[in-house]
Amino acid sequence: MSLFRNSHKKRRRGAVALAVGVALALTACSTADPETDSEEPAGGDTAEEPVAAEDIVLVNAIRSLSNPYHANWAAGGELFAESVGMEQVVLTDDGDSQKQLSQIKSLLAGGKTIILNVDPNTSSDAEAIVRAVTDAGGYVVTQWNKPDDLHPWDVSDNWVSHISFDGTVGGYEIAKALFEEMGGEGGIIALQGILDNVPAKQRFAGLQRALEEYPGIELLDEQTAEWDRNTGYEVTQTLLAKHGDAVGGVWAANDNMGLGALEALKAAGLGGQVPVVGVDAVPEALEAVQDSENTGYLATVSSDAFWQGGAALALAYQAAMGEFDVASAGQEQREFYGTQFLVTKDNVEDFLQTPSLEDLQADFDNPFARSTGQIG
Amino acid sequence: MSQVQEGARPAAPANPDASSTRPAPRVAWSRRLLTAGPPIALIALIVIFGAANSRFLSGSNARGIADQTAILLVLAIGMTFVILLGGIDLSVEGVMATSSLVVALLAANDRNSNDYGMLAVLAGVAAGALFGLVSGLLHTRLKIPSFMATLGMGAVGIGIATVLFAGRSPRVLDEGVRSWGLDKWWGFSPLTYVAVAVLIIGWLIQRFTRVGRYGYVIGGAEGIARLSGIPIMRYKTLAFIISGSTAGLAGAMAASRLGVGDVLIGGGQMFATITAVVVGGTLLQGGRGGVHKTAIGALIIAVLANGLILVGVEPYVQRSVQGVVIVIAVAATGWSLRTRTRTIK
Repeated sequence: MSLFRNSHKKRRRGAVALAVGVALALTACSTADPETDSEEPAGGDTAEEPVAAEDIVLVNAIRSLSNPYHANWAAGGELFAESVGMEQVVLTDDGDSQKQLSQIKSLLAGGKTIILNVDPNTSSDAEAIVRAVTDAGGYVVTQWNKPDDLHPWDVSDNWVSHISFDGTVGGYEIAKALFEEMGGEGGIIALQGILDNVPAKQRFAGLQRALEEYPGIELLDEQTAEWDRNTGYEVTQTLLAKHGDAVGGVWAANDNMGLGALEALKAAGLGGQVPVVGVDAVPEALEAVQDSENTGYLATVSSDAFWQGGAALALAYQAAMGEFDVASAGQEQREFYGTQFLVTKDNVEDFLQTPSLEDLQADFDNPFARSTGQIG
Repeated sequence: MSQVQEGARPAAPANPDASSTRPAPRVAWSRRLLTAGPPIALIALIVIFGAANSRFLSGSNARGIADQTAILLVLAIGMTFVILLGGIDLSVEGVMATSSLVVALLAANDRNSNDYGMLAVLAGVAAGALFGLVSGLLHTRLKIPSFMATLGMGAVGIGIATVLFAGRSPRVLDEGVRSWGLDKWWGFSPLTYVAVAVLIIGWLIQRFTRVGRYGYVIGGAEGIARLSGIPIMRYKTLAFIISGSTAGLAGAMAASRLGVGDVLIGGGQMFATITAVVVGGTLLQGGRGGVHKTAIGALIIAVLANGLILVGVEPYVQRSVQGVVIVIAVAATGWSLRTRTRTIK
């Protein structure tokens, strides 16, 4: 009896093992195919065939819609999608790299051709994303974050381009505007972003370059306010207690911190007396710039999030449609800096309105119009 | 709390004469140090920073520290009630987000024509209380662990705030609401007085109401509390409502100080709040601590952050220094309990 029972158990276990083995083999087979395709030379045929409209999905992958910058980005993408008569899908990852990658992979597995405009959560995520898109035959444009030694032309034609903005230029321009307002004399405090972020380092380097050109300005103190508004408030409050009247200006690496600093100055009774500068052109900063006599908020920098969301998506779309030949494109088209705009009282009106499709159509038709040169 | 009975034995009195003349049990050295530890640490920090930079002790800096402690203290007082009974509330950032947007959209603002003034602040607190109620019900009725229930509610809070935010932060234009953040009453920000008032109310709740007193029992020995017939679910839910309300109030305070309703207005507050509670001397496992201890903990956090800037410690190093100080404080507070295994709920 026991012999019979044992062999019954063994048979069942064997059947389960066989079923699992078959399932694994099937999945291994299905993922093997795309890999053999991508082993073809980089100028392979799969990257050049134009795709039918029903088979593509326009995707914008960003951190979240909880801040105006990314909300404008998504709105720009929406404008482009309307212009080609399609809908866009917006993926938000809330700062979670794993989530961003798995969302993109889920879409890629859906069978359609994915046209992706992505702001990778960190530089290391960019490689996994572009390889996943390449394997699935999609088209991707990355922005802001990628490893320095990884280039689109080394990976595939499916990675159409990488767009970034030169933080040193932004940090330098606002610093110059601040120093001019201070008459070239006095002390400033600097609020940095999260210290190991690339934009934080670049913008601070821009500030230091400006400091060399204005020997009469002294950097009294530099602290990190972690890109956060409340932290900007508290750090500014502490620095005002530490340096008192010596503080003649505030340089902030982004508007969030700058606006926090503004409130701290107001609370200390210095509202409108100490100039403040930031980066990002969030709507409240634009309004503060418009009212700069009262607020003291002098300048900010816009990379035009609408353009980032729309024109970059247009670029990937053109590559998918065969209108832009990735294989024969030069390096300055595969990796370039976009244009940043210094926003001061003189031109703030232009940035206060949401752009319409007409305003951006020219950029959708030629995404390279705003290129200021190759990265690096 | 109960004193440690050194040398107490349950055996029958073998020497009746000795037991009747035994002196009163003495509290152990280590126990005294633990309860006094956080205040000593606070005084030590103040002395060290004051010696390193005399501006640290100046009136304007002291007022700045008080202002910087205010929001953290309000959050930490509510959190104390939840931690006392052994749970945790991870929803504070989400609740602050929703509350700040509710306040910003109901008071005079640049998005719509509402003008409810201080009623908007009340609405923010009520929204927080509602979140606390749902968290409490999820935890007590559906038996979802508190960290999971509140984590979920926190995400809901961020989500609701994002919908209300709709692409750009509404600015608070109501002078009355903003005056709470910007005015000076005898040199201090009104928010400081709000925090002190919340501290007093919190202490009264802790000391004189059942929510407070039973919280210690439930946190210390929930099984015994249940056997004693205490309606645990009710008091747990009430503790979460308190925590939600303080988070709602903190969101309103932040909105009045920064002048906006913002989804990210609570950034970093969750970790800072829990740290303030634990550094003050309330155990994460529950059963010991209190809002009076939390006040010390919140002051330590604010003094540390402020002092490191004033002394001129490199920004790159500040976070590490803060982390080291906090780990030492928490380890010291829980030292006597390290041999007993307890689960964190």
